Amino acid sequence: MSANVRLTRRRFLEVAGAGTLAAGFPAILTACGNSSSPQPSSGGQAKAQPGTLSIFISKDTAHPQQQQQLMDLIKQRFEQANPGSTFTWDTYASAAEEQTKLETSAAAGEGPDIFEFGSTVVPTAYASGSFERITDSMWSQLGGKSAFFQPQLTMSGPSPDKLIGVPWSGNPFAFVYNKELFAAAGIKEPPKTWDDFIAAGREITNGRDVWGTAMAPADGFDPWHKIWLFVTQMGGKLMDDSGKKGLLDSDMSVEASAFWLDWMAKYKIASTQNATFTGANEQKAMAGGKVGMQVMTGPGGIPTYDQGAIAGKYAFAIGPTVPPGMKAIPKGGKAAQGFVSGQYLTIFKYSKNPDLALQLIKVMTSPDIQFQLFKLRAQQPVVLETFTKYPEAKAAPWDALYDAELKSYPTPFFGSWLQLEVVLGKAINKMAQQIGVTGSYSKDELKAALTQANQQLQASI
Amino acid sequence: MLTGERPAAVEPGTRQPLPGLPVAAPGGAGRSPLRAPYWLMAPSVALLAVVVFLPMAVAFLISFSGLNQNTIGDWTRAPWVGLKHYVDTLSPGGAFSSSLVESVRASLAFSLLTTIAITPIGVGAALLLNGPIRGRAIFRGLMLLPYVIPTFVNAVLWRLIFMNGTGVADQLLAALHLGSRDTFWLIGPRALWALVIADVWAAWPFIYLMTLAALQTIPAELYDAAAIDGARGLRVFWHVTLPLIRGTLGLALVLSTINHFNNFTLPFVMFGSTPPEQVDVLPLNIYVNSFITFNFGLGAAMSVVALFIMLTPAVLYLRAARVGESD
Repeated sequence: MSANVRLTRRRFLEVAGAGTLAAGFPAILTACGNSSSPQPSSGGQAKAQPGTLSIFISKDTAHPQQQQQLMDLIKQRFEQANPGSTFTWDTYASAAEEQTKLETSAAAGEGPDIFEFGSTVVPTAYASGSFERITDSMWSQLGGKSAFFQPQLTMSGPSPDKLIGVPWSGNPFAFVYNKELFAAAGIKEPPKTWDDFIAAGREITNGRDVWGTAMAPADGFDPWHKIWLFVTQMGGKLMDDSGKKGLLDSDMSVEASAFWLDWMAKYKIASTQNATFTGANEQKAMAGGKVGMQVMTGPGGIPTYDQGAIAGKYAFAIGPTVPPGMKAIPKGGKAAQGFVSGQYLTIFKYSKNPDLALQLIKVMTSPDIQFQLFKLRAQQPVVLETFTKYPEAKAAPWDALYDAELKSYPTPFFGSWLQLEVVLGKAINKMAQQIGVTGSYSKDELKAALTQANQQLQASI
Repeated sequence: MLTGERPAAVEPGTRQPLPGLPVAAPGGAGRSPLRAPYWLMAPSVALLAVVVFLPMAVAFLISFSGLNQNTIGDWTRAPWVGLKHYVDTLSPGGAFSSSLVESVRASLAFSLLTTIAITPIGVGAALLLNGPIRGRAIFRGLMLLPYVIPTFVNAVLWRLIFMNGTGVADQLLAALHLGSRDTFWLIGPRALWALVIADVWAAWPFIYLMTLAALQTIPAELYDAAAIDGARGLRVFWHVTLPLIRGTLGLALVLSTINHFNNFTLPFVMFGSTPPEQVDVLPLNIYVNSFITFNFGLGAAMSVVALFIMLTPAVLYLRAARVGESD
């Protein structure tokens, strides 16, 4: 048989290679070109063209039926205000899904008209350059920036003239405690300092099944939430103001991390079983009535508590602000309760009908819908008129959460913040696992883990 | 041969035309019907090009770029960073080198241990069900159950089994006085064993299937001959069965190792995106770097490294499968 007709491996590769080039290059060229899309009207009251929008929002796993009810109500109002228009909605159930949708939509130039993002994802969305800037005239259609809860606007964009996110709901962090366990331990009021917190935790812990507090080091968020809180109260930072330098290996970061891990390892006010806990496990433990205090928790826990053993026996309060070993907040330190957290609505740059998208956001941020968001889904409203029109939105236990929101501070508005969350989480998680298995850890190991995390962050910036 | 004539000697490497088919003219390959295989292959080659080679080429290019959250909106303009990601992952002291080493170690341990564990189980089950036993058809179906259960369901089940304190594993060990009710399986050194056990349960039917298929090609006469020679039991297995299934079994083991090395779903569902270092397998590490931290360039570089690691068993696989013929 002649060699030129025999199907050899070399020949196969030649044919396959040519096929790759033939099939691949048109696809690359197609993918590289993003179609142009209309810009939102820049001045005055825009007249949006009727059409069908799509919106991508977070799934409310605690209130699925109520979320459906709320979206039905929004659709009704939107269709009334915009005859001939409607919208479809889809949900994401996890942060990974939220980010993947952002990545694929930004890369392809195709996606929903409106995205809902959590506050720490807004900087990444901004960095991608795939979302419309909300201009002054657009804000005025929404009632003006002053109509919104002011702390929320700090995470809408990097500066007041570069905002891309319209606040949609708030997730203030506060301190929650079990009143029954406090009374049993003879503790009269929530601790003001972290030393008091440790002392209260020791009083509550019985060495068997009741613990002073709980923690969730296996959670994707809890480690950086807590370390950020302690460092902020100490007057430090996890990343410098330029966003170019990570500070995860600073002495303050190491101290803050050690303090949190010591709840299990040294002070023994949290069970070592917490080493495998996620946020949901922590909340469940608190709701079960076997945990005295939970730090930096939001309104999302309320339905769980109300259905648990602590229904009617818990209260939200302002948590400790004085760093461990200190009598007062140090110079530069902040009396932070949490970072500015909540959900934001953004208009995708490639939306075919951005004016109509703004009209939908207008409906979603109307005081009536905001109140329904509160009533049906237990989310904190972010439009100020909601609180005056519906005072129950600020009644207990929401009053403490409202106050806590005023003591929240924004995280640095850099896209690389997500990288910081992951590398810090991994380092802390590693130490927590060691505590879970062996009962202890060393500060040198913690320092090494944080140094490695900082190197990884630095290499990614 | 009806004529009683011996066929003409055929030169090695040449092929005799089939009766009735035209003989391909030397040098006239352009008109030869033997060109047909290329055209018949064209659809699958085009499909391979689009779904395999093109993404691979793009990933290779991305590994030299600084594609991240700042450039994802216009990814073709991501800055060129040269070998930075490879230096970060491969050079001693690189920011991600220890992470990569840990992941390679975890992936190798996971894939090799799983393959070692499933081999005797799969071969044993195949030998058992190859013989004439009552209800063989039912048993053969039942054996496939773990294999057809979706991986994420399997992962969720085993996560629940291994939950600290409340999981069935801890309860059982405590009831049998073999361990504490407070044993951690999802963190620490036991995490690797938890992952291996979960995967063994799901993956052994693959070896069973491949072995059973090979066993059914062995002529019964060989066993009869062995029996006449006085061979029994293990001796028959070592000297008759194993040599005849060796090729298929070897292929199955290589494929199994590759599959376990590339398994993402099981460790991701069991341990999440911040797994213990013992189970921070390479696919999971690449996923976190690419899709959680938006560091696509680094993720792509790690993927290229993973590709080269996997080339070793892949070459073994190609040799075992004897794809194509040597030039």
